[in-house]
Amino acid sequence: MKGGAKVVVEKHRHEGIFVARGKEDALVTKNLVPGDSVYGEKRISVDEADGGKTEYRVWNPFRSKVAAGILGGLDNVHIKPGTKLLYLGGASGTTVSHCSDIVGPNGLVYAVEFSHRSGRDLVNMAKKRTNVIPIIEDARHPQKYRMLVGMVDTIFADVAQPDQARIVALNAQYFLKQGGNFIVSIKSSCIDSTAAPEAVFAREVKKLQEDGFKPKEQLTLEPYERDHAIVVGAYRVSKDKK
Amino acid sequence: MSSSLRNAIKRTTHKERSQPADRTRLGLLEKHKDYVLRAKDFHKKEDAIKVLKRKAAERNPDEFYFAMEKKKTRDGVHEERTTEQNKYTEEELKLMKTQDLRYVSLKAQTELKRVQKMKETLHCLGAGIEERKHTIFVDEYSEAKTFKPETYFDTPRELIGRAFNRPKNSQLEDADQLVGVGANEIDYDEEELRKQQERRLKKVAKLNRGAYKMLNEHEERAEQLKSMTVKMALQKEISHGKGVKKKITKKNKDGTVESYFVWKQIRKR
Ligand SMILES: C[S@@+](CC[C@H](N)C(=O)[O-])C[C@H]1O[C@@H](n2cnc3c(N)ncnc32)[C@H](O)[C@@H]1O
Repeated sequence: MKGGAKVVVEKHRHEGIFVARGKEDALVTKNLVPGDSVYGEKRISVDEADGGKTEYRVWNPFRSKVAAGILGGLDNVHIKPGTKLLYLGGASGTTVSHCSDIVGPNGLVYAVEFSHRSGRDLVNMAKKRTNVIPIIEDARHPQKYRMLVGMVDTIFADVAQPDQARIVALNAQYFLKQGGNFIVSIKSSCIDSTAAPEAVFAREVKKLQEDGFKPKEQLTLEPYERDHAIVVGAYRVSKDKK
Repeated sequence: MSSSLRNAIKRTTHKERSQPADRTRLGLLEKHKDYVLRAKDFHKKEDAIKVLKRKAAERNPDEFYFAMEKKKTRDGVHEERTTEQNKYTEEELKLMKTQDLRYVSLKAQTELKRVQKMKETLHCLGAGIEERKHTIFVDEYSEAKTFKPETYFDTPRELIGRAFNRPKNSQLEDADQLVGVGANEIDYDEEELRKQQERRLKKVAKLNRGAYKMLNEHEERAEQLKSMTVKMALQKEISHGKGVKKKITKKNKDGTVESYFVWKQIRKR
């Protein structure tokens, strides 16, 4: 027995995601580009049963709402190996990089971000991760990038804008396949800082329903974020299927 | 002969005696000047003890001290004073007296940074389940009535509370559910492998507990330092702040006393 093994990795409920326990106690994804950190996150190397080594990257739930939602117990995040994902509000690409780890070489992540500053990091990351396609455009105008994006299985949105629901709906019309899924992160103070968070979440869910989305679950993000919620659901589910 | 000429003549260099090899366990060889320092220190302490002993011997038990007016006993046990001053721990008081506000807030900042750094890899798995709210949307009212979390999440009932990872029923039989528990070396039989895995899991759990304990300590210290900077800033404002102020002391319903200052409002030009 080798003495070096200080960590045990457990497969997560969601395919492609893992939990590392030991000196660390962390959500991790399998590094698509071994030996490379994207934003200074820690990497953990684990001995496989067959003697090989696998490298994982720590996914900080204090910085990523998807990670917080996963650790909070979402039933399904609809991001797994092979998924084609449209990510609205990619910022510098911290979460995008983990999504890229999960979807793997057979999946794709289209990351839309309108700030050129953050976009630069995103583009740099995409140089090493070929399954990430950075798009520096305003997500309010999907027609501008319709030539770049194909049909996707899942849309994730974290643009922190009051009209986020409309932005998601617009993009879904263009790119989301029928019966595809959506995940939106809602920061209540970004939408209405005077109303109670609960009321804001309910209003956003209502808006999504009006646009043909069918919410399945909603989860608040304590202890990682305050007054944030994630809503997950499906798009244009055909009546006979449900 | 003049002294400068005498100095020009080469003399043998003076070599200091060092600790003999067989006595090296005693450390460096003590010289007279070292002895003098040690002896002075010893006598100083000796004198202090003598003075204290004499004071104790000559104490008059009937003598009156003003401090006695406020002293109390409860059930025959002397009670410490619980006024404002004693709100601080020994350690806090010492820091407050010896350091200034800037230093303490710097320390508070560093401690907070360290906590954040540690939390990058310690994700408090399993925490926050009481604060969190998970809503499942269903189509019919009847569905809500018959809702069973273990069926919805497709996981064993005991794992419903394990929000950070609720494995699906099909995953439980998966032999590779855990990675890194031990190499499948050929000469291991089933029994030995199981034992080895158990040992490793135990070791990992211990490391995990240790890491959280450390995080806890740093978190506590960060909290303490932060509250101290607030208190010290307030103290400073009270003792050095300009303007006319009034101290207001309020007794709460639960018996605790709260006091604060109100500054007289001055119209600024
Ligand atoms: C809260 S941050 C996203 C953080 C990211 N999801 C993560 O976890 O790493 C929101 C980002 O959305 C971007 N954004 C806001 N409005 C946008 C829009 N209309 N189109 C594209 N990006 C937008 C902002 O520039 C910002 O970087």
